[in-house]
Amino acid sequence: MRWLMSLVLVLAAATAVSAGPLDSPGAMKALNCSACHGFAGQSSGDTMPILAGLWPEYFKKAVADYASGKRPSTEMEPYAKQAMQFGVDDLAAYFGGLKREPTKIASDAAAVARGRTAAQQCVSCHGPEGRGDRAKLIPDLAGQPPGYLKNQMILFRDDRRSPGDDMVKSVKTIMKSLSDATMSDLAAYYSSVR
Amino acid sequence: MSGMTRRQFLRSSGVGLGLGVLGGGCASAMKGDFAPKTGRRVVVVGGGWGGATAAKYVRLGDPSVEVVLLEPNRQFVSCPFSNLVISGVRTLDSITFDYAGLRRHGVRVIHEMASGLDPAAKRVRVGEGYLEYDRAVVAPGVEFQWEQVEGLAANQDKVLHAWKAGPQTQALAGQLRAMPDGGVFVLSIPPAAYRCPPGPYERVCQVAWYLKQNKPKSKLIVLDANQNIISKTALFRAAWQAYPNIEYRASNKVVKVDPTAREVTTDFGDKVKYDVVNLIPPQRAGTIAVQADLVGADKRWCEVNHVTFESVKAPNVHVIGDSTIGLPVPKSGNVANAMGKVAAVAIVHQLNGKQPPELAPGNTCYSWVSDREAIAVVNTYKIENGKVVQIEQKLTPGQSVAVAQNSLGWAQSIWNDILG
Repeated sequence: MRWLMSLVLVLAAATAVSAGPLDSPGAMKALNCSACHGFAGQSSGDTMPILAGLWPEYFKKAVADYASGKRPSTEMEPYAKQAMQFGVDDLAAYFGGLKREPTKIASDAAAVARGRTAAQQCVSCHGPEGRGDRAKLIPDLAGQPPGYLKNQMILFRDDRRSPGDDMVKSVKTIMKSLSDATMSDLAAYYSSVR
Repeated sequence: MSGMTRRQFLRSSGVGLGLGVLGGGCASAMKGDFAPKTGRRVVVVGGGWGGATAAKYVRLGDPSVEVVLLEPNRQFVSCPFSNLVISGVRTLDSITFDYAGLRRHGVRVIHEMASGLDPAAKRVRVGEGYLEYDRAVVAPGVEFQWEQVEGLAANQDKVLHAWKAGPQTQALAGQLRAMPDGGVFVLSIPPAAYRCPPGPYERVCQVAWYLKQNKPKSKLIVLDANQNIISKTALFRAAWQAYPNIEYRASNKVVKVDPTAREVTTDFGDKVKYDVVNLIPPQRAGTIAVQADLVGADKRWCEVNHVTFESVKAPNVHVIGDSTIGLPVPKSGNVANAMGKVAAVAIVHQLNGKQPPELAPGNTCYSWVSDREAIAVVNTYKIENGKVVQIEQKLTPGQSVAVAQNSLGWAQSIWNDILG
């Protein structure tokens, strides 16, 4: 009987088509994302965030906020609406199931060191290495491209990211107190965390 | 084939060897069926934004499918950002790439021109021979309608279009630099539809910016065959406030050029003298699409199924990119890239006897209005009753350095998406 079971298993393995990188519904729905965010959400650009490894619930909140205009973005509002149309659950599951490869954009070591010191004020929310808090939807900053991180800090400072949202009041208060150079240092540090 | 994957088999077979030799450019070897098909094969004609993407994504979707890409150029030069080469803001080198990344995906890149397509026999002609396919992707971009402008066909070396990035881009930059201060630069925009609707207006910004910086007594006369700026209209109008050296004339179609008199003539009979002319000719689908009769009654563009990009005129032939018509999308690089991916997924489904999913493209389009600021328009689409319809279009509120930075991130990612 055991040999029969083995034979069945071998035959099943031989006939099963192994899942390719485009075989999940989320992968196919994510095809438009790769133009900016890279294949499998691994952005190689400085200003485009890496989507691979984003927690599904965080991804869905970001898409909903972009689509509603709460998080204003010329680029993301139409694509967020398309993501909702295609099925945001599939997209969130797809990106959430991928491992984030940290950005390959290297920062100056001195800037990283200064940023590590400056990051003390971020620890209470984002954690000691910027890994965030999934339950509170505080994002994991580690390894995101520095240009993207700095742009978000500027948007918070200028109250152009989620304007009027009390949830992000504290981060905006901190950003208003930071110099442009410190923001660059923080971006360098968090992008370098491995 | 036991103990051997299909890929290993192909690599060790005569198919791989034959195409490897041809990859070196040995046209004389291409006689008859010069690489007989041993499994399922997709032949992609044209390695631009659409074709290169489709080739890569068919391989990603199903590595057991052989993909042959026919592209005469050994290097890929990006049309997006090429206007910045004319103004000297970027170098041509910085927008030039090779096809090594596609080869790493197992795409067999042959640097030869596909000379014909026979949908009935499922063959693509190359040199004196042919390749058989199960499905073909036709992505030949645009061809110029030289005959629409008197004097243009005979003077292609002097009257530059610089509308296919490469040597002409560099040559036009050279002409602009050599123009004396106080000279007149004439830029002629063809009637829609043409490749990259906002492209000519971005070029106006770049030439005007260059002249303002370097030749302040010079003038830029824009002769636009269209009634108005056809893309990002208000944003370009606002940007042009910074360039009093622009003289924009709408509804001025150039019908004649005379390089000896250094003069163009419009359809009203107005004659305009120039020191440098940049004449972007009227356009149609790439020649192979016209010769294979994939075009409509206008003999210019190809209608396709909106879900699979299969030609409405020829089965098993998918047309993508600038050659297509009938979808509410611009002829942009981003759309060609998106079409390449959607078509690749459809082809992989069809080759495996499955129903293709209903995906739709998106368009992200940046235009640089100076050496540091840019504007953008973004469109997304969905499928409704089998047709592509727009979900939303959104424009940047104004021009900014931040948008220009986003465009650099976009470029880095999309070049990698196409070729990496």
